[in-house]
Amino acid sequence: MNYRFVVKPELCIGCRTCELACSFAHSVNGKPGRSRIYPLGTGHKELWVPVVCLQCEDPACARSCLVDAITRNPETGAMDLDAERCVRCMACVAACPFGCSLHDANHQMVVKCDLCGGDPVCAHFCPTKALVLEPIVQQKKKKSA
Amino acid sequence: MVTLTINGKLVRAREGEMLLDAIRREGIEIPATCQHEAVEPYGACRLCTVEITKADWGGWKNHVTSCLYPVQEGLIVSTHSEDVIRIRKTILDLFLARCPNAELIQNMAAEYGITRTSYEEVPDGNDCILCGLCTRVCDKMGFQAISTVGRGHGKEVAPPLGEAPPDCVGCLACAQICPTNYIKFTDDGTTRTIWGREFELVKCETTGQPTITKEFAAYLVKHRNIPEDYFTRCDSAHREELAKTMGRITHWGRQEEA
Ligand code: SF4
Ligand code: SF4
Ligand code: FES
Repeated sequence: MNYRFVVKPELCIGCRTCELACSFAHSVNGKPGRSRIYPLGTGHKELWVPVVCLQCEDPACARSCLVDAITRNPETGAMDLDAERCVRCMACVAACPFGCSLHDANHQMVVKCDLCGGDPVCAHFCPTKALVLEPIVQQKKKKSA
Repeated sequence: MVTLTINGKLVRAREGEMLLDAIRREGIEIPATCQHEAVEPYGACRLCTVEITKADWGGWKNHVTSCLYPVQEGLIVSTHSEDVIRIRKTILDLFLARCPNAELIQNMAAEYGITRTSYEEVPDGNDCILCGLCTRVCDKMGFQAISTVGRGHGKEVAPPLGEAPPDCVGCLACAQICPTNYIKFTDDGTTRTIWGREFELVKCETTGQPTITKEFAAYLVKHRNIPEDYFTRCDSAHREELAKTMGRITHWGRQEEA
């Protein structure tokens, strides 16, 4: 993993382009899927926050999944939800403290952000660069032996 | 890696992988009704039957359930040979006798040109094809609330002793996984009923939206280490909350800059 997905609320103008891009990027049989990202108002003037999965270190979604359908993708670092394995018990939807495991009622699927396999489509469409893929600057010291 | 032939094409597959996975990866469609990624293969419906042979088998052929048969070096597989089609037709014909009203079975049978069973319809047939997915997924989730009871014609899926299952948490996994929608439930936004048992749904403190059953939430708190208060709000309220929190932090940042 040399990049990370960064969300910068201070740049978000609430245009919801990311939402649209996400929806189309996750179409099922040509029909747009449910967006995995939601730019929401904050109660502060002209301040929006694009709410999207934080790819937690010890995620409640994966812990709550009793059939192990949610696992870390070693390449992207994302918690991927395997739709073929999911039995739609809605445990993860209820358990995620950020509301980022979602029920896509149109397609009868449970969905979440998968970072589009490592190159998030929303970041390409965000006009203000509030969503960006940033290279990770290595700043970890080497472990002493 | 092993190399095998599927419908005349050389393909590579991972050692230990089942034939069905290799077949599907090639984009070949075969019915596999009792198979689901959430559970181990079971070999109950036999619809995934394919024909196998090897160059040195002297023309001898065998028919195996591909969901349970590991790939092998040099295997020659036909997914739609005449024999395979005949076997699949027979199975569908029998299923249609047992479950004449199951839409899934009707559709699959129709694809193989069968619209009426040639056997005698089972008198009080229902839509259960005894694929075992419901009991297997319930076991896998750790509840073991239901099982197949009885034998032969009278065989059916039911909670132990045919009573409301004490170990059921109302997660609906069995109903969701059932390929013929035989398992019925109702959900009125407050109460969920399945297997003759009633469950109260958790309601979001902010929006009033129902989420999962109280029993299921309690199980996840106890056995999967989910903090209890995660379940007090629905997903949409959680998102709003996150936006407000992050907004507050960003707002401070702005004020400091100004
Ligand atoms: S879905 Fe929720 S719990 Fe899972 S990784 Fe994303 S933010 Fe964390
Ligand atoms: S809804 Fe699917 S992914 Fe979520 S916990 Fe249930 S089985 Fe796992
Ligand atoms: S899917 Fe292989 S026997 Fe049912």
